[in-house]
Amino acid sequence: METVCVLGAGSTRYGRLDESLVEMIANASADAIDDAGIVPGDIGAAYISNVFGIADKQVHLGPVIMSRLGIPEKPSLSIESACGSGSVSFREAYANVAAGFYDAVLVTGAEKVTHTTTAWTTTYFAYCSDFFYEGSAGASFPGLFASMARAYMTEYGATEEDFARVAVKNHENGLLNPKAHLRKKITVDDVLGSAVVASPLKLYDCCPFSDGASSAIVCNEKFAKEHGGKYVKVIGSGRGGSPSALQDRNHITTIDSTVSASKAAYKAAGITPKDVDFAEVHDCFTIAEVVNSEDLGFAKKGEGIGAAREGRTARNGDIPLNPSGGLKSKGHPIGATGVGQVVETYEQLTGAAGERGIKGAEIGLTHNFGATGASCAVHIFQSV
Amino acid sequence: MSGQKAFSESAKSGKVLLAKCSKCGELHLGTVMFCAKCGSRKFDSQEVDARGTVATYTIITVPPDGFEKYAPYAWVVMALDGTDLRISGFMAGIASPDDLPVGVRIRVTGDDERGVIMERD
Ligand SMILES: CC(C)(COP(=O)(O)OP(=O)(O)OC[C@H]1O[C@@H](n2cnc3c(N)ncnc32)[C@H](O)[C@@H]1OP(=O)(O)O)[C@@H](O)C(=O)NCCC(=O)NCCS
Ligand SMILES: [Zn+2]
Repeated sequence: METVCVLGAGSTRYGRLDESLVEMIANASADAIDDAGIVPGDIGAAYISNVFGIADKQVHLGPVIMSRLGIPEKPSLSIESACGSGSVSFREAYANVAAGFYDAVLVTGAEKVTHTTTAWTTTYFAYCSDFFYEGSAGASFPGLFASMARAYMTEYGATEEDFARVAVKNHENGLLNPKAHLRKKITVDDVLGSAVVASPLKLYDCCPFSDGASSAIVCNEKFAKEHGGKYVKVIGSGRGGSPSALQDRNHITTIDSTVSASKAAYKAAGITPKDVDFAEVHDCFTIAEVVNSEDLGFAKKGEGIGAAREGRTARNGDIPLNPSGGLKSKGHPIGATGVGQVVETYEQLTGAAGERGIKGAEIGLTHNFGATGASCAVHIFQSV
Repeated sequence: MSGQKAFSESAKSGKVLLAKCSKCGELHLGTVMFCAKCGSRKFDSQEVDARGTVATYTIITVPPDGFEKYAPYAWVVMALDGTDLRISGFMAGIASPDDLPVGVRIRVTGDDERGVIMERD
């Protein structure tokens, strides 16, 4: 297997964007290509992740983007895996480079939904659930995670105030990220006083609906060295699956796909959770960050909430989670998020994260899942 | 009848359609096609009373299309009596967590455009 590297990265701002879906993808891709110091013709193939292209009247995005980049003859693949689309795309890029099919590929994820209504997005996002068992009975995405939150509160005695702390921390981080969607300092009281979306989750426990695109150039090490730019190595990659419906999980507050994906990634990297300097995790709702911290091995089951309470997951804590601001503050353009986490990790590990940089970080982890964690991918990166 | 249709038909009469693996005895919801434990695709189907307790739930105030007129309502995961299985459904008239403590007894009473309907037992 080839050693796989990330040689360049680019991202639009996350938030409410005027550009079309295609323009956002083309812009982020062009930025990643420039950042890598290559030209489009150096790319062997592209992986484009997106969920609701229909909302902006464009599906089959791959060839459209290849045409805009002046390389219409290059193969591309459009990938949908709900909120986990970006990391699954990254995994396809990784696997194809590792296998030697291509020396370098482009991976770009994007979403554009803020021009639709709250009802439209809530309705369409629910199609990512196991619709026969969940969405058809009125479950929304906030509702599914709220059910997880109530189960966690019942089992481990966590409070709404505990969850609020996760939001406060991620908003603090996002304040330092010029590309974040919600750049606003908030307090625990702001969270507790915000409108209920799906009890016990309130507006500030939820990630927002965001537009945005993120892109990375993935290549083998020989290509990275020849092109001379800064690069980081992908030292572990893992994927996993869980029952699509919450009702069928062994334990409602354990996401099996995270456990298996991270175990595989740690094994490939030859490290343990203790060796990770920071992680970008899928905090679509505050409860998710807590559950993730346990499933990724940063805290024991039931103790993730304590870790959040004690500030262990803050930027200066022993395992900083979401230095970018996470989905909560940086925003969650669902098809882009998994690639956006790679962009953040690349910037962190190449000293380009500015004020929000984690001092001395050498190993970063990205964790992104689809829906309630029915699909998941975890990647581990190391600075060179 | 497809697995999903049959499952909904059972719910209409307050039952859950289950599939018991003929080979290893593992119990599944009726929509399964291969046993998750042994891989067999032979099942004995059985209908049981859809009664149980609240495993967890949420009260939804920002609803998807078709549910506006019912909000706020609960979306509930029920632990099915006498099994390790759970099923999910819609419950009307729940406005506050005090209306539905975790662990309280509930049952399935139907299936319509709101999916599986549940009520307190
Ligand atoms: C919570 C939610 C229902 C709000 O809906 P919305 O359509 O964004 O709401 P609005 O556009 O009416 O926003 C109202 C205000 O709240 C702010 N806001 C919206 N979402 C916010 C959030 N998650 N956190 C903090 N503030 C938020 C908006 O900026 C806006 O402020 P403004 O009036 O000053 O501009 C929606 O964001 C949501 O469902 N989020 C979860 C998304 C999701 O499920 N993703 C998939 C996860 S796997
Ligand atoms: Zn069996």
